[in-house]
Amino acid sequence: MIEVKDIKKRFGRKQVLRGASFTAEKGEITCLIGVNGVGKTTILNAIMALTPINSGEILIDGKKLTKDTFEKITFIPDAITMLPQMRIADAMEFMRDYYKSWNQKRADDMLGFFKLKKEDRISDLSKGNTAKVNLLLGLALDVDYVLMDEPFSGIDIFSREQIAEVFTSHLIEDRGVIITTHEIHDIEHLIDKVVLLDEGVILREFNVEEVRETEGKSVVDVMREVFHS
Amino acid sequence: MKYLKLVNFEINRFFKLYMVLVGMVIVSQIAGVIVESRSFIKEANMTIRELGLTYTSYAEDYGSLSLGSIMRSGWFVLPIALCIAGLSFYVFFIWYRDWFGKNTFVYRLLMLPTARLNIYFAKATTIFISVLGLVGLQLLLLPIENKLFRSLVPVDLRHDAPMSELFTFFDGLGIIIPAHLSTFIIHYGIGFMIVFIIFTAILFERSYRLKGIVFGGLYCVIALGIFLLPFIIVIYQEKMYLYPNEMFG
Repeated sequence: MIEVKDIKKRFGRKQVLRGASFTAEKGEITCLIGVNGVGKTTILNAIMALTPINSGEILIDGKKLTKDTFEKITFIPDAITMLPQMRIADAMEFMRDYYKSWNQKRADDMLGFFKLKKEDRISDLSKGNTAKVNLLLGLALDVDYVLMDEPFSGIDIFSREQIAEVFTSHLIEDRGVIITTHEIHDIEHLIDKVVLLDEGVILREFNVEEVRETEGKSVVDVMREVFHS
Repeated sequence: MKYLKLVNFEINRFFKLYMVLVGMVIVSQIAGVIVESRSFIKEANMTIRELGLTYTSYAEDYGSLSLGSIMRSGWFVLPIALCIAGLSFYVFFIWYRDWFGKNTFVYRLLMLPTARLNIYFAKATTIFISVLGLVGLQLLLLPIENKLFRSLVPVDLRHDAPMSELFTFFDGLGIIIPAHLSTFIIHYGIGFMIVFIIFTAILFERSYRLKGIVFGGLYCVIALGIFLLPFIIVIYQEKMYLYPNEMFG
């Protein structure tokens, strides 16, 4: 389980996170929803220790992050984190070199699924294909948790469908996923849990299925209720 | 292990630019020896023919050519200066290249399952290896250039100097390739220390942006202050606790 406990973060005079707390379970897809600039990416960065937090605590399976945690959790940012001059094959080799959890077979499977060519240079890829490579590099790691920052932003409809398909496949199964988005439509049917964020605080945290059954509301209904109140 | 992989990775990233520097040094210095020797001989031959002199009497009247004087020319000084400038630039670029552009590669580096200090040391090691590589290249080139010089300029027209003397012909080279091991260690120790200080200041800036520039600047001033402490003590106390050689550092 990933536990985010009362984290606060300030950038200069701007207080981005004002004591945000939520949890994300293994085997569930947790979606962080909020408009741009409410601190979604900052939370993911904080979980990965890519930005220092001013206060609060983040635990992964009950422990604070260490270098070994990076074999258990991976982050797929909204831009690819590989050198543009690398070929897809080089990027995969880089990952294989450094991560014990790298699963080459799974990487090859995904390469086929996304119809990507190993010898293509990252800088020559379309936006959609760059996003797919980015996803591949993260998901081919045998890790327990995957964080994804806006995996659907700015890419074409067919790539979005393909990426959404990944969520229903064995690639995601059994893992704990935290995904941020401000467009819920692509994945509404896939997610287990929603965390609504506004101005650095969690407005509501709920189980999608539960709310659907007990209150008869969809994610968008709840969002409308929370954000418009 | 991951540290060595990172060093290898960083060196590969710098390799092309580094080879340009290496190529430039080799081409410019060898060309310098050839061009300067030829033009000297051409001039000497003309004068000799006009005045009916011998090589020996020409050398007595007009002076002979030494490799040292070629080494003081732009053919030698410029590529060395460019290498220093290139490496100094790379001390900054080695970090900033990971942040700038569309691809924030630094995220990948910071998420590697290894101590983040390894990234710092791998980048520092890359700079050190590059610097020492260029020094090594200069040491290899000098005897070759000396041989070439001897083969081009007749014995009566040249002034031969032993290798050790060659280094003193050109002041800059004395700093780059000192005559004593202790001086070498001191010069490069200071150089590498400065690289560490700059690296740390860069990381202050990258971590805390505007505030980081202030922290980084303060850190540099304090570090420099500690280095200069022996001099500061001398100025204020007018007492020498250390030998000049130890103080020069």
